[in-house]
Amino acid sequence: MSANRWLATGNFFTTYREEQRIFQTHLDRLVFCVFILALFLWPMIIPLSNKYMLVIDNILIAIVAIIGLNLLVGFAGLISIGHAAFLGIGAYTVASFSRVIGDNHLFLTHWWPVVILISGFMGAGFGAFVGLPALRLKHLYLAIATLSFQMIFQWVINFMTFFNQGQTIFVGRVFWFTGKVARRHHYVFWYYVILVIVIAFGLGVRNLLRTKYGRALVAVRDNDRAADAMGMHPGLTKIFAFALAGFFAGIAGALHAYLYRGVGFESFTLHQSIEYLAMAIVGGLGTLTGSFWGPVAIIMLDLKVESLSEHAGQIFTSTMNLATAMRPLTFGLVIVLFLMFEPRGIANWWRIVKSYTKLWPFRY
Amino acid sequence: MTYFFQLVVSGIVVGSIYALSALGFVLIYKSSRVLNIAHGQIIAGGAFITYALTVWAGVPIVAALVLSIVITFFLAMSVERGFLRRLIGEPIISVIMVTIGLMSILNGIIYLTPFGTENYSFPTFLPATPVSLGGVSISWTQLVGVIITVVMIGAFSWFFKKSTLGISMRAVSDDQFASMSIGISVPRVFGLAWAMAGLSAAAAGSIIGNITGLNFETLHAFGITVFPVVILGGLDSIIGAVVAGIIMGLIQQFASGYLDGNWGLYGTAEVLPYIILLIILLFKPHGLFGTHEIERV
Repeated sequence: MSANRWLATGNFFTTYREEQRIFQTHLDRLVFCVFILALFLWPMIIPLSNKYMLVIDNILIAIVAIIGLNLLVGFAGLISIGHAAFLGIGAYTVASFSRVIGDNHLFLTHWWPVVILISGFMGAGFGAFVGLPALRLKHLYLAIATLSFQMIFQWVINFMTFFNQGQTIFVGRVFWFTGKVARRHHYVFWYYVILVIVIAFGLGVRNLLRTKYGRALVAVRDNDRAADAMGMHPGLTKIFAFALAGFFAGIAGALHAYLYRGVGFESFTLHQSIEYLAMAIVGGLGTLTGSFWGPVAIIMLDLKVESLSEHAGQIFTSTMNLATAMRPLTFGLVIVLFLMFEPRGIANWWRIVKSYTKLWPFRY
Repeated sequence: MTYFFQLVVSGIVVGSIYALSALGFVLIYKSSRVLNIAHGQIIAGGAFITYALTVWAGVPIVAALVLSIVITFFLAMSVERGFLRRLIGEPIISVIMVTIGLMSILNGIIYLTPFGTENYSFPTFLPATPVSLGGVSISWTQLVGVIITVVMIGAFSWFFKKSTLGISMRAVSDDQFASMSIGISVPRVFGLAWAMAGLSAAAAGSIIGNITGLNFETLHAFGITVFPVVILGGLDSIIGAVVAGIIMGLIQQFASGYLDGNWGLYGTAEVLPYIILLIILLFKPHGLFGTHEIERV
């Protein structure tokens, strides 16, 4: 690598180590640090109302979930139609604590990072269990296994009185060092918590993908026989992918439970699973940046669809709820159109923009 | 004992309709290796088209059934033309995800029609008094439904055994390159497989709609139960689909007949197929009749 480490121009890799760097130039690192700093500072400068803050928190939670789903679908090449159920496992882990020890118990309100971590491990455990058939099967059957897990999850939640049969289970307000988090600070507080988690997971996954385990995922996706011949265990790698996806989903579910201060059944249905899949596809399968673009795009689209169907509902006075019809319609269309015309997702557009600015003012 | 036989009879009725719906799914998988996640929505759609034709357009029910089968035949074919033919050559995972998208689109379209929210039931056109066979009674609707199902499954097996098209479909499922080299148009066979799947789905949907009434949630749940059926039977076996369909129907009827109400359980018929599915995937992943060439990894 040449002496100038600020610009990409004129720099060539001379070792494989250099190629695997997360930040190629100092400029990249600087831009990243400034961006992170801006993410931390803006809520202090521009105070948003709770309504908008909730949307941003939702996007961040979806990003945590999609990082996991993208590892599973994009990098390991497995289909999951039950990701919402894995989020549900995380959320209902929090809910079970709330049912057993009470929703304002010290453990839930003071030790919430531990609770969130436990939920993540619960998700990982269930993920590994659903992935178990991978030891004996080629991947595509596993789509049906995840679908059946989703159905079993929905039935168990609706059936068991312990889970309040799908009705909301409340979770108390959490404490920070300065005391109980007040109602007006609730969403901003969780913004910071989730932001820290997103940054940690983003960097963690970026790092994972250049280690032996992350590269094994891609190898198994591309050709499992070749991967087997090179000494990886395809079945165990797939189970690992399922466990990772379950872990991220469990964390996201627990955050969802704390953010909404309650767990209800309707956030973890099959429709929701398809929405998560849409996020992963739109963002770009097999890219880490895609996990950030997808949730932003889909949640924005969701808001637009909702307001649009509200307007339409005022014009055409109809008995049915237009939003329930428009949402699956748009998500389905988005999935199909992206797969047909831009299978690499928004992350590809981002890549094009980035490579253009990197070479500017030269064309190539 | 009469109760037991009653459960057996209704299990066979439901199971034979499962068999008919699973047939379409197996057809698509067999010819193109695509898991059609949207199959349940096609079943529901066929039922709704039949209802709309009989009640809103005033077509006699037999003609409506035939007409809806024809409509769904062409609808499924155009779905294949419009969405899946562009993806030939893409990785199979993205084709399956397109069918997931299709499922969502069809859901949205059904929610746009009155069928998404309201319940309807077909007008009765058969005698209301059930047929009694030695203490076990079966309603005329169920009887006619089973007869239609058996006839259709018979027609399908004749089609695959004897007709040129059926033989070419079997050839494609066996080896795409070899069948291309002897002059079979593989995309056309894919289209035909989808069309036949749509046909059988519409028939199954109309029959189940006649028996249980038209409710999107019920039909949707019925459609998803096709997955446990095909996994139990083996994804690429038509005999497997038929046998597994009847087994699944019996299991569901026994579950709701003997388990529900005892030990505080209810609604077990809805969840048992999926538990069976997971167990089968763990211990006998190629199902009862599936080909054993699924490679272990």
